Amino acid sequence: MPNSDLNPRNWQTSAVSIATPEPAGLPHARSLAWQIVRDLGLVAILAIVSLAAGLVINRSSAHPLPVVYQTPEQRFDAELTTLVAAPPFKIAPAATVGLDQFRSAVESKSALILDARPSLFFEQGHVPGALNLARDDFAHDYRDLAGVLQAAIDKPIIVYCSGGECHDSRLVANALLSLGFGNVSVFTGGWDAWSAAGLPASKGSVR
Amino acid sequence: MPNDNSRRNYAVLAVSIAVAAVFMYAGLGKVREPLQFADSTAAFAILPAVFINLFVMGLPPFEFACGVLLLVPPTRRVGALAVAVVSLMFFTALASALLRGLTLDCGCFGVGAPSRPRMWIELVVDTVLFAGAIFVYLRSITRTPSPAPAP
Repeated sequence: MPNSDLNPRNWQTSAVSIATPEPAGLPHARSLAWQIVRDLGLVAILAIVSLAAGLVINRSSAHPLPVVYQTPEQRFDAELTTLVAAPPFKIAPAATVGLDQFRSAVESKSALILDARPSLFFEQGHVPGALNLARDDFAHDYRDLAGVLQAAIDKPIIVYCSGGECHDSRLVANALLSLGFGNVSVFTGGWDAWSAAGLPASKGSVR
Repeated sequence: MPNDNSRRNYAVLAVSIAVAAVFMYAGLGKVREPLQFADSTAAFAILPAVFINLFVMGLPPFEFACGVLLLVPPTRRVGALAVAVVSLMFFTALASALLRGLTLDCGCFGVGAPSRPRMWIELVVDTVLFAGAIFVYLRSITRTPSPAPAP
């Protein structure tokens, strides 16, 4: 059997192993790197399992997060939109006022008048002094009018829409009641009754 | 009289317990108020909105699991590396927020008020956690028997 030390091919290897002896207990650099890579793979698996566990925990919680993040403003808008999205059959009977009472409140400016119709209808004609808190754009309008509304939190508020069978005024009134406004009522005659009585009207997009 | 090796083993155990306790506490703190933690994460302005809530849902179980893995000797190595990776990630996010002049609540240990001094403290905590995790990891891999040399 030939002596391997006499083979010139092994000289280089031998020289290296003598020059750089491996420290005791420390794995070879290549196997160390390989171990770190394997461990990082395990960390990645741990991350995936944790995400799955997090999704399950979130789903079973009382107030689960949506998968996509919403800013506080978006959450507030969504909450407001939910408030006015109740189907008509669930509308609780809100306090109502007749034309005479409504007219006197408008003329004396003793109440905050809110028009719950879409802005297009509001711009074509509305009760003088009324502000547009449209049911179909409630979140946006509510934020626009936040200052005025907060100032009127203890004042009487009267909401109207087109009149007749329209539900917008009741939905907005109920939303305001659930937001903490204590004195909210609905003028059931709405814009139809106001204009039919030949009472003055304002035009434009003033809110 | 304990020798150097057993002293180092005690040190690894002590650091593992300390880091595990911090991570488990942090994980539980985030589970309690996920919405506020999501807002804190969004304030860093690093992650896009689609990833924020997934991060918020996944991080607390991940941190808790890191703590558990650190406490169990056979899994200590992986737990330590996971803590090192996450601490480095937190450090980078906090340092980037500080460099951008942001004042925020990092949400690291539950909800708090935005504060730059607290951000600096949390940066130091992350550094200490990273150092502890690397210490435990390196000690754990040097104790792993190396493969037998090829014949």
